[in-house]
Amino acid sequence: MSWKTVLEYSRYPIAFVAMFAQIFLIVFMFIFATAAFSPSDSGLAGQGQLAGVMIYGLVTNLILTFTLWEVGFSIREEQVRGTLESLYLSPADKFANLISRIFVVLTWTGAMCVVAILIVGFMVGGLPFDNVLMAAVVLIFTTSGFLGLGFVFAGITIKLKESAQLLVNFFQFFFMIFSAQFFPFSALRSISPGIVDYVSKALPVSYCVDAFRSLLVGLPPGYPELAPLNVEVVIVILFGILSPVVGYLTYKWAERSARRKGTLGEY
Amino acid sequence: MEGLSRGFGLGKPSWRADLGVVKAVLIARLKIISRYKGSLLMDTFMPVVFAAMPIILGVSVAGANAGGNFAERTGTSNYKMYMLVGSCTFMVVSVMLWLVGYWLRREQETGTLESVFLAPAGQIYVLSGVTLYALIRTIAAFGSALVIGSLLFQVNPLDGNLAAAMGFLAIGLIPLWGLSMLFGALILRIKEANSVIQLMTWVVSFLMGIFFPLAFFPPLLRGIALLFPPTVMNDAMRASLLNLETFFGSWYASLAVMLAFAFAIPLLGYEMFAHTGRRVRAREGVGQY
Repeated sequence: MSWKTVLEYSRYPIAFVAMFAQIFLIVFMFIFATAAFSPSDSGLAGQGQLAGVMIYGLVTNLILTFTLWEVGFSIREEQVRGTLESLYLSPADKFANLISRIFVVLTWTGAMCVVAILIVGFMVGGLPFDNVLMAAVVLIFTTSGFLGLGFVFAGITIKLKESAQLLVNFFQFFFMIFSAQFFPFSALRSISPGIVDYVSKALPVSYCVDAFRSLLVGLPPGYPELAPLNVEVVIVILFGILSPVVGYLTYKWAERSARRKGTLGEY
Repeated sequence: MEGLSRGFGLGKPSWRADLGVVKAVLIARLKIISRYKGSLLMDTFMPVVFAAMPIILGVSVAGANAGGNFAERTGTSNYKMYMLVGSCTFMVVSVMLWLVGYWLRREQETGTLESVFLAPAGQIYVLSGVTLYALIRTIAAFGSALVIGSLLFQVNPLDGNLAAAMGFLAIGLIPLWGLSMLFGALILRIKEANSVIQLMTWVVSFLMGIFFPLAFFPPLLRGIALLFPPTVMNDAMRASLLNLETFFGSWYASLAVMLAFAFAIPLLGYEMFAHTGRRVRAREGVGQY
């Protein structure tokens, strides 16, 4: 199944180039937007910590986005192409189709994140890069937790069909804002403390973002912003373990329900 | 037959029949989207969320000096309105390209593109129906996003020259219509619509300078950006709403550039789409993707 996904990707070489170019553009656009707010006599140099917060947040954003679209929405692609029923009639494990997407998520987002970090590092004259091992552990559990969300969305896609696209879009932006993936939580707090206290703190994704980037920027005063580091790490680990289980059960439930009703291939 | 101007195999659909195709496609698309009300809601809220990102980012960079620093760079301290206008204009451009590109891709994936090309109707009229639908949808989304964004960010678009901004939007939609045809031709040719659409969305937003002034670009990139009609449209609209100077120095210079685009781009788009359609049919066929 992974091979099938890789083969499918290899047939669209422009997609490979497009994905990388896209990251360049996103990074540049936010850098220019940031520059528009800095005093006219200063450039981007010296904004290392903020750039770190932004770019390490972008890493979590890329993984989440890819997971939601590649894992969560892949069911819809099969429905549109009319191959979902054939897939279910084959003697292969049905869940393998989703698992196979993980390979693409990991390799592609990994490569894109490295490129994005290098570009921003070059532009701001170096990024903070501390506590790498601990941050890697946090990222592993974060990715695992996001994959669980992807499985949940795959189940929801079976139910909602075309409308799932809307939901994926919505949650992509929801996490972008409320889990502060491109800015510190203090910026959200400056708009309204309630946003952080009642929304951000209720989302495990927020702790993943906060713990990962706080570690990499070297835990400066005020970081992590949501809870002490040990608490955040425990939340991230629990999220990384429980989310795939919940995701798997949700997907299986949605799939069984659709097969019973005969609506699996319907769209 | 009423719809034909000649007979004996030389029959060509009359303009009424062609108009009927445009109307049928438009009604079909509107009926389909009416079943997905959530998508319409997203069209409205997406630009607001998109504008919120640089606003929050800017506040976290400059804190209380955000307005002052922004004024030094752009000429206005009203950064919320600046971002909102950029974001709404970008949404218009993006949705126009998305809807046309995604329509073609969807027809390819569901295997109905060949049927569309085999139908006794000019493809250009089918495409015109789709682009007309995209125009209606984007104008509605632009209006609602501007109103909701203004309420949320507590800015007043009526402080600027809203009528002039809407005039620039109306003129800017004509080259945009041509651009969407060009984009359709590109999708037909290279087929990898999803990735191209994704990439184009970011290329467009970058070139339009939706969150920053064009002066940030190096001269060559600035020149390229100004050859792109939505950049001029965005610049002129922003200038009207925020009382800024346009990139060309005056509103009538921007208007002249936009009128030139409005004349040239649709012709180019039409020719490219027709040419690509012929070429694809003569070679691998439209069914292959």
